Amino acid sequence: MNGLRDTAGLMDGILKEQDIRKYTYTLSRSEKQELNLENGDFKLMRTVFNNSAYLRVFMNDRMGSVNGNDISREGLEQLAKDAVSAAESATEDPCHDIAPDQGSDVFRQGVTEPDIDRFLERIKEFLDVVKNEYPKINLMATIGAFDRWTWISRNSNGTEFEAFAGQYSFSLEFSASEGDRTTGIDYLGFSTADLDTPFIDMVDIRRRLENVQNSLDPQTLDGKFEGCVILTPATAADMVMTTIYNYASEGVVLDGTSQWLDKVGEQVASEKLTVSFKPYDERIIMGERGTANGFRAEEVTLIDKGVLNTLWLSLYGSKKTGRPLVKYTGSDLVIEGGDKTLEELIASVDKGIIMGGFSGGQPGANGEFSGVAKNSFLIENGKISGAITETMVSGNLGEAFKNIRGITKEQRCNGSTVVPYIAIDGIVISGK
Amino acid sequence: MLEDIITARKALFSDGVQTVLRGHENRNRRVVLLKGNLVQNSRSESRGISARVNNAGSFGFASIAEYTPEAAEKVLKAAGENALLLSKHRDKKILLPASALSESLPLNYNIIDMEQKKIIELCRQLDDYVVKKYPDLLSRTISYYEDSQDRIVCSSDACSGHLVTPRCYVYVTMSAETKDGVPVELFKALGGFGNYSDNFSDPEKLYPEIDKLYKKVMDKKEGVYAEAGQKTVILGGMMGGMLAHEAVGHTVEADLVRGGSVAGPNLNKRVASELVTMVDFAHSYNGAPAPLPVFMDDEGTKAVDDVLIKDGILVGYMNDRETAEEFHMPATGNARGWSFADEPIIRMRNTCILPGKNTVEELIASVEDGYYLIDSGNGEADLTGQFMFGVTCGYEIKNGRIGRALLDTTVSGIAFDMLKTVDMVSDEVEWSSSGFCGKKQPMAVGMGGPHMRCQIMIGGR
Repeated sequence: MNGLRDTAGLMDGILKEQDIRKYTYTLSRSEKQELNLENGDFKLMRTVFNNSAYLRVFMNDRMGSVNGNDISREGLEQLAKDAVSAAESATEDPCHDIAPDQGSDVFRQGVTEPDIDRFLERIKEFLDVVKNEYPKINLMATIGAFDRWTWISRNSNGTEFEAFAGQYSFSLEFSASEGDRTTGIDYLGFSTADLDTPFIDMVDIRRRLENVQNSLDPQTLDGKFEGCVILTPATAADMVMTTIYNYASEGVVLDGTSQWLDKVGEQVASEKLTVSFKPYDERIIMGERGTANGFRAEEVTLIDKGVLNTLWLSLYGSKKTGRPLVKYTGSDLVIEGGDKTLEELIASVDKGIIMGGFSGGQPGANGEFSGVAKNSFLIENGKISGAITETMVSGNLGEAFKNIRGITKEQRCNGSTVVPYIAIDGIVISGK
Repeated sequence: MLEDIITARKALFSDGVQTVLRGHENRNRRVVLLKGNLVQNSRSESRGISARVNNAGSFGFASIAEYTPEAAEKVLKAAGENALLLSKHRDKKILLPASALSESLPLNYNIIDMEQKKIIELCRQLDDYVVKKYPDLLSRTISYYEDSQDRIVCSSDACSGHLVTPRCYVYVTMSAETKDGVPVELFKALGGFGNYSDNFSDPEKLYPEIDKLYKKVMDKKEGVYAEAGQKTVILGGMMGGMLAHEAVGHTVEADLVRGGSVAGPNLNKRVASELVTMVDFAHSYNGAPAPLPVFMDDEGTKAVDDVLIKDGILVGYMNDRETAEEFHMPATGNARGWSFADEPIIRMRNTCILPGKNTVEELIASVEDGYYLIDSGNGEADLTGQFMFGVTCGYEIKNGRIGRALLDTTVSGIAFDMLKTVDMVSDEVEWSSSGFCGKKQPMAVGMGGPHMRCQIMIGGR
């Protein structure tokens, strides 16, 4: 795929012609080849060629931003005019700003020349294994895609980042059935830069397929109890990110509803919990390189052994509040592993559940959550005793992560996050 | 709006395959005032052309982010090649019969752009109103969100036409603190189908809704946790709409029926009380426009209403042309794609449980000890019909009267079990149209429902 330097040169000229002196822009071009299967049958082959242009301009401390996908001269000229018009309509706010000069860099990530034949072979091989070894599984939707893209980002302070990237991705929606009995759906996906490993052996696919096959006769629970919930890595990633957004993200800091507003440097979670964003971790395929504010991305540990290191503020939020800036705006989540095996965690639980999914209401600013435990199993006297259905869990996000019983050594890596199992005490679990 | 360069390209369609060529533009406008600070001020437009070719049941799709005759030629060629490649790996061969209707539909509406300055002024006026009248709030956010779709569809053997779907909303969000210093929050979406001038020509007309929202926030800051367990509840109309969409609607999308949804073995069986009738409306309801009218889908099928549950009996699914053939049902115009780069898949349009005969007051008065659940923030369901809705606004009902407000909670159940417990239905319908449905792609959808008395599982402490 060719770079976008010529188009960036065109953009620079247009900005100069229109006398726009403070700006940041990103141009990108992408290609997707996607194979869609429905119930194990090849259904649709999809090819997408896309472009995008993002431009933010500043007119005397007034900011306007525009997006478009027409990167012709005419399209970019219109984009610049629209950006100026938006900025001129805005009120002055000097906290809107761009990153200082970050120098130049070229990033190369993943694989940019795909082996589509090998990719198709891996998909067919996966279908065969599922058909032969997991006969009760319905592969309702299977998507295999290869995406590649190039982007270039420049700002008026002199920064220039350019990137060439590509990856394979594979995702599944599946259930199990036997006779008239059907389970709920489970979802999983991963991304990879190579095709060395059969897909059935990637991430925790075998365990997830087995769990769904073992969920055809779920039981309902009577009444409610307070117990231990072991979050699977996928559920743990969702709940930790929800907690971060709920308590430490820019929106809740600016509107003053964050419950962690004055907790930096204090213990906000169990000392077992360390949460970071690690864009350069070798297990993560497409870690962030340039932030949305135009900084070179940096690794950040938000929670270190339970202590809140920093709130997650962009350049705007940092300037608005006078608090430290975080030079990271992606989602390359890494939760450090603990000292237990999954079997040890399960053996330690008198009564609780292992929760493979959570379908719940968006927690309010206070962090209260409640919802349905999906793809979950009851644990009694240290052993898994069977799948459950119509079971709700509730608690408070802030309190929950203070009550961590244990974290597994094993971390699941799906190409974009690295997360262990986390066992939490004191969650209300209620049946019918 | 898009100029028609699509129709003339029909001459390039190949023989022996079924082809749909689509020009498509999505437009967004967004302004966010957080505590009076303009934190977002953006406009975006994306356009392109896609083609889908059905070669005996193997579908090829291709799209390009250009809107030119040359781009149309390229996507037709690429989609044809994709379909051919796939057909080599697929045993099943199906050529769909030609659509019964093959006509050209007229443009249904116009998209009128509004300058960003006016949008910011609207948000500023509403923010001023809130901050002056309600200074005791912990926080407030005024967000303007507009999205529109402009599509020109040309099919080889079905309908063609130029159709647009503009919609715009102001979201008002308010936060207050409980006596323990814990924040509580509520939001309200105001607006609907149409352009800025259709919805916001007189901002003062929005003030009464803002006042109602403030009262609910003040009630909620004195709120209590719901008691967990199976309860008698009155679901408000917005909750009824969420139920129609999430808990039932997805299970009766024919592609998910094919994937094993609970609706498969329940066709022509009782799945709800006889008080429940549910319809996915295409473009009109009760002689007036539906919240988000759909006149034709992206396969070129002319959109008609689809009755899903009739007097408690499951009678139909939502179909695209392929599943309609497989299930021996009519194609109703449900296959839609969100952007030029998205292939059409089965989506809901304006899904609604129809009203009954009781008044809302009668429903509330009938409950001795239960809850009145008014607004939902989000919802999900799976193929078994097990659903979950977040409840952001609700009240206790004690001895037939509204009591204390509830803090955020969640309700859940199995749709076809829970719908059998519906024993009173109100005589009016509340609609919403601001939401997005997520199913591979986003999609703007309308949903509606009456108040209903039923039994439901509620999460609490």
